[in-house]
Amino acid sequence: MATGYAELFCFSNFTFLTGASHPHELAERALELGYNAIAITDACSVAGIPRAWAALKDSPVKLITGSWFELEDAHPGGAAPRFILLAQSRKGYGQLCQLITTGRRRAEKGQYQLFTRDIETQELDNCLCLWLPPASSAASYEQAEVCGEWLQRLFEQRLRIGATRTLEAGEEQQLARVRKLADQLKLAIAATGEVHMHARERQPLQDVLTALRHHSTVENAGHCLFQNGERYLRPLPVLQRLFPQAWLQETVNIANSCRFEPGSLRYEYPPDLVTKGETPAAYLKRLTRDGERRRYPGGTPMKVQALIRKELGLISELNYEHYFLTIHDIVAFARSRGILCQGRGSAANSAVCYCLGITEVNPAKVELLFERFISKDRDEPPDIDVDFEHQRREEVIQYIYQRYGRERAALAATVIRYRPRSAIRDVGKALGFDAALVEKLLDGIDWRDKATNWRQQILDKGLTRNPKVADQFFTLVNTILGFPRHLSQHVGGFVISAGPLAELVPVENAAMEGRTVIQWDKDDLESLGLMKVDVLALGMLTAIRKALALISEEKGQTFTIQDVPQEDSATYAMLQKGDSIGVFQVESRAQINMLPRLKPETYYDLVIEVAIVRPGPIQGDMVHPYLRRKHGLEAVDYPNDAVRQVLERTLGVPIFQEQVIKLAMVAAGFSAGEADKLRRAMAAWKSHGDLTPFRDKLISGMLERGHDPDFAERLYQQICGFGGYGFPESHAASFALLVYVSAWIKRHHPAAFYCALLNSQPMGFYSPSQLVQDAQRHQVTVLPPDVNHSAWEHTLQGKEKHLRLGLRIIQGLSSSGAERIHQNRPANGYQSAAELRARAGLNQRDMELLAGANAMPGFTSNRHQAYWQLLEHEEPAELFANETMADYTPEPCHLLPEPTEGQNVLADYSSQGLTLQRHPLALLREQGHLRYCLTADQLKATRPGIPVQVAGLVTGRQRPGTASGVTFVTLEDETGNINVVVWLDTARRQRKPLLTARLLHVKGIIEKEGDIVHIMAGKLSDLSHLINALPVSSRDFH
Amino acid sequence: MLWLYLHFPHLLLDHIHRNQPSTGALAIVDGAGYTVVQACPNARDLGIEAGMRLKTALGLAPELSIMRTEARQEAWLLEDQARWLYRYAAHITLSPPDGIWAEVSSLQKLYGGLPSIWQTVEQALAERKLNAWVAIGHTPQAAQLLARAGKGECTADKHHILTSVGSLPLPAAGFDEKSCTRLQRLGLNTLAEVFALPPTELARRLSPELLAMVQKIQGTRPDPKAPWQPPHSFRQKADFIHEVEHTEGLLFSLQRILSELEEDLCWRQQDTDTLLLILQHRHQQATRLRIRTTGPEHRAEMFLKLIRLKLDQHPLSAPVTGLILAVKHFTGREAPLGRDLLGETEDLDEAWHTLISRLQARLGEQSLKRLAARADHRPECAWSASNPGKPGKPRPQASVTLPRRPLWLLKAPRPLAQPPETWHSGPERISGGWWDGQRVHRDYYIAQLPGGELAWVFRDVQGGWFIHGWFG
Repeated sequence: MATGYAELFCFSNFTFLTGASHPHELAERALELGYNAIAITDACSVAGIPRAWAALKDSPVKLITGSWFELEDAHPGGAAPRFILLAQSRKGYGQLCQLITTGRRRAEKGQYQLFTRDIETQELDNCLCLWLPPASSAASYEQAEVCGEWLQRLFEQRLRIGATRTLEAGEEQQLARVRKLADQLKLAIAATGEVHMHARERQPLQDVLTALRHHSTVENAGHCLFQNGERYLRPLPVLQRLFPQAWLQETVNIANSCRFEPGSLRYEYPPDLVTKGETPAAYLKRLTRDGERRRYPGGTPMKVQALIRKELGLISELNYEHYFLTIHDIVAFARSRGILCQGRGSAANSAVCYCLGITEVNPAKVELLFERFISKDRDEPPDIDVDFEHQRREEVIQYIYQRYGRERAALAATVIRYRPRSAIRDVGKALGFDAALVEKLLDGIDWRDKATNWRQQILDKGLTRNPKVADQFFTLVNTILGFPRHLSQHVGGFVISAGPLAELVPVENAAMEGRTVIQWDKDDLESLGLMKVDVLALGMLTAIRKALALISEEKGQTFTIQDVPQEDSATYAMLQKGDSIGVFQVESRAQINMLPRLKPETYYDLVIEVAIVRPGPIQGDMVHPYLRRKHGLEAVDYPNDAVRQVLERTLGVPIFQEQVIKLAMVAAGFSAGEADKLRRAMAAWKSHGDLTPFRDKLISGMLERGHDPDFAERLYQQICGFGGYGFPESHAASFALLVYVSAWIKRHHPAAFYCALLNSQPMGFYSPSQLVQDAQRHQVTVLPPDVNHSAWEHTLQGKEKHLRLGLRIIQGLSSSGAERIHQNRPANGYQSAAELRARAGLNQRDMELLAGANAMPGFTSNRHQAYWQLLEHEEPAELFANETMADYTPEPCHLLPEPTEGQNVLADYSSQGLTLQRHPLALLREQGHLRYCLTADQLKATRPGIPVQVAGLVTGRQRPGTASGVTFVTLEDETGNINVVVWLDTARRQRKPLLTARLLHVKGIIEKEGDIVHIMAGKLSDLSHLINALPVSSRDFH
Repeated sequence: MLWLYLHFPHLLLDHIHRNQPSTGALAIVDGAGYTVVQACPNARDLGIEAGMRLKTALGLAPELSIMRTEARQEAWLLEDQARWLYRYAAHITLSPPDGIWAEVSSLQKLYGGLPSIWQTVEQALAERKLNAWVAIGHTPQAAQLLARAGKGECTADKHHILTSVGSLPLPAAGFDEKSCTRLQRLGLNTLAEVFALPPTELARRLSPELLAMVQKIQGTRPDPKAPWQPPHSFRQKADFIHEVEHTEGLLFSLQRILSELEEDLCWRQQDTDTLLLILQHRHQQATRLRIRTTGPEHRAEMFLKLIRLKLDQHPLSAPVTGLILAVKHFTGREAPLGRDLLGETEDLDEAWHTLISRLQARLGEQSLKRLAARADHRPECAWSASNPGKPGKPRPQASVTLPRRPLWLLKAPRPLAQPPETWHSGPERISGGWWDGQRVHRDYYIAQLPGGELAWVFRDVQGGWFIHGWFG
């Protein structure tokens, strides 16, 4: 009778540059071949387990969790051991994770280091050891024997010998050695396949990976490559021919003794938060009630009460209390430190989250879909993302580490995978293509062309004329696409556990000092049903907190987000003009153009504004229909009531991701399960997903139900556009709150707004220079940095609230030096450079930077002179041998030329990146260089359709993915910004000025849409040389 | 003293254009292939500059031709230039990576004045199709700065030279970056303004090194330059923008290199009897050809004839991306052939060389091969018979125990006529070679044939049986 087989030795592609198959490919192949079980045994890692588990969850094939190890040292007299450890129980799994953690935490990122003493000291009594004895070329028989005896002492009855048959030279000797060792040590032998790939066809890829690992090419890798492609999952009949019955039977015996299932991992949330004597459910209920009183001082609306009851019921049914409590705890910590935070994503669909202060979207005002957040059917843990102030998120992270300890908290991993560019580069390297040639090819590729097209693009560029080589190349590239390359840290996904985390999942080092990541990413956590807390960073929250503090100071009382008046018409009027530089989310060029078209009047309009300028609605061509309907130019109608329910809020036009998914259900007849699959496919589309299988079902489904074919096709396009950039309504709703708050501050407290923004740099779309100019255009007086008036930060001064630039604007100045300048400043200010240097204890570098920034106007006549005086202080360097001190007697101060206006402007730019003097364009215009050019202001009063000339500093070049081949250039002159549109043909003919000019001159046609002005570029000229000519051609040159 | 300075603004490009004239935009990139090192005038017109990332350059000019360079290449090229300049001037000094000084005051009498020296140099440059900016200065520094700025004039007037140097903008003064920034922050724009600062102040407020530099430019501080000595070998390299597929395509650059070799030999008053020609390919190892003359030789046409013959015998195995011609052994024109009195100085290298050439003379060049192991699992690729070059050091490779292989491997496998008597070992499966189109997938066995021979047989993927070799 034929025995079964369990493969106990499999490298997946999570053993980087070694394994040539995905874990799920291995799992699925094992299922096809009728194996009893399969172990995924990556090198000191269990990163591949969740994916294999997802593939085998409901199948007869058992998944065994294991890992392969090679130790750094050897037991005295023995060979360095290589072996596989298999988890026999949940406890054994914890022991395995602990060992992996030890090895990984000790080594650099991506490496591991384990020694014999680790195996001797760590508890591994629930793990089975499969020893892989060394070959005769690596160790003598005696050394192998010593090694085996050592392992036997440690593992006793849980030690087996692994034997493999790869049909390579020297195999017979090795088998003889294995038999002899088994005899001598009385060990059972188990067959293994030493699997590196699920099918033999992957041999070329495995060779490519091997060559890359050895920094070689396939052709030169020689004996580093395997002799043949036998390390794949072989069919049972083949195995039965190769191995004795007993060896196969032993694999099944081992598999039977391994009773750990990844699905049994249950997350235990830390119980720390609940006070003794209270159940988690009661505690959560109490906190929610407290929150209700805060949120609804006048009594909770009935609708919200019902929601809360329903949510609490579901939460307690699914045992998610600890999760909510944990997040509440983190948010409460942030609140107590005055760190602004706000939840977003699907959590904004929860009334409980609103009451707990995790989110800010009021369920009384917006329709919430709690099912999107938690659903009994989906059986998935909820996902709460919380944004914290960018500058202070680290405090929150440190709090989590401190509260739960590094043993119990770590960041989730992000698996960095092969993308087309890296795949082409690496495969090219392994096949020995010239590196410069490959770079050239890569560079010419337009990645936005559909994925299938880059193959043709590369062939057109002449990679090779040999079709066979080309085929091989593309097959390899396509296969390696999506392969993991290394683990990186997730932006902020924390995993917190009740027991030591390392017993749940191995922890390894991240690239960042002091950070650790677990070996699984967020999809893995999801497939195993484990929860994570997303601690994200948002720069705008920092700016808002700082602005609120300035406003509070001005008002003499605390002013919070809740104090911002709602639905302020002046704020909306400002946004409708497209005056939104610095405002959260709507400050990009595309948004500035959309604002006057959409004309937001209410909070919900902002929710739409945030979501509409996105690839989804744009590719689905939903923008124009929506605008027409909003402004009453087109009737709002619905094919039936079901569709009306979905689309009513957005006037019958799908804008949000969940609307599209709902439409798939009500308009195309998708089942709930299918719709969920569609949602996942959309999320995965960017990296490796494929949406085409849904296309036919969607379109035929919609046609059957009498929908317009054109609408169906557009909906599909929109789904593709959402892929990877999904923007759900709840997300937009959270963001829109911040849009409104930041816009309100800009409208009513401009000085505080710009001051806070400048103090939160770097963030947003605009440079400090652009922000300062925008501030000046909003009647904010901006004063230069001055050692006698500035602090490190930018500040508001006097009753008039003038914005005084802080010393931080001086590039390269040390913050400690700036602090000392501020703290040690005498009441009547510093009187001389020497006093400044002495009192503030400044070094030469800081002094020079201050002089270069002209930040000592109180006691120096100009920056040249200030600088000359400073240089005197420096100790003379060592003398040359043939010189005497007499050569260095000081002479009276040498007089230097007074700086010209142009020199001052340039010096300001080089020291601060901005100038408060006249704009360089104003100087050039005065000198007569820009005779026929109109300013941004003049353009507003110019008739559309006529040819014009403009010039300005290039502040932005953009080629958005949604506009085919168009480049948008933003020019800045002394009156504002000018938008230039360069079509592909124009761009191709004038690459040099387009791509390199710092000061650009454009001849073109002016076009207008409402208040929005565009210049359609014709001729471009580079005027950058004028910038350098500024200082000398100035009129007041001495 | 008077110094002449040659600044080569794009030596690598000139070098390539000399071998393969072309009109398109061309850029040289560094070894890693990410940064532009030099850009030809056509490329510069398109906005491409040295130091630019290749990505940016290709954004500006998608049709740009690119060539990679090795770090040492530029140094070799500069040496080449020094070699010919050495024939005109006795005291020259290299200024890597792109300049050469020549002391010319002592030459004025010889050449009949400065203008004729200038003309001689310009002519030599033109003949060699080289771009160089020439300048004369009363100090090495002055000459160098003027040449680099392209402001050179044929004058020995110190005052005139100082005025020209003084008008140079600060960034062209060759000061270190820190000093340059400081001087600019003081509002200074030209070197003349720096000259105007009191020297003691300059040393005290900026640095003594800066003062030294200024004084070296002005000539108030000595600036000795050590003379260059020519090397004792000849080596010239040509790179091709477009791969050369036929022998004919190589002759143009060979002709040029050989006439430079002839010039070099004449000047040395030496001959040679061995040339080494290395042809480089993109994807495979270089072809090394040794060309031997029947006796000492120096004429370019004779060398060319021999090389042509050699290339006729060895058709190009792959398109050529570059070639190197090197000569290491020189023989004195009059010196008698033979060994020195005691025969002790003849080293092993030389002995090997002599043995090989004698064997080749006796047996014919084609009949002599060297056997070497290659790291490849395919038996037919696991060894190589190459031209006997130097007594090779075996290439370092991972220690592998070589598998059991028959000493006599058949040239091509031949079908197994009758089933073997006994099977000794196997199967050993060999599968690989997908990358070069010679994929094998075979199971090997050692078996005794009915005739008693011990054979290495295999079965291929179609199930056919073959004999591949014999064991002793």
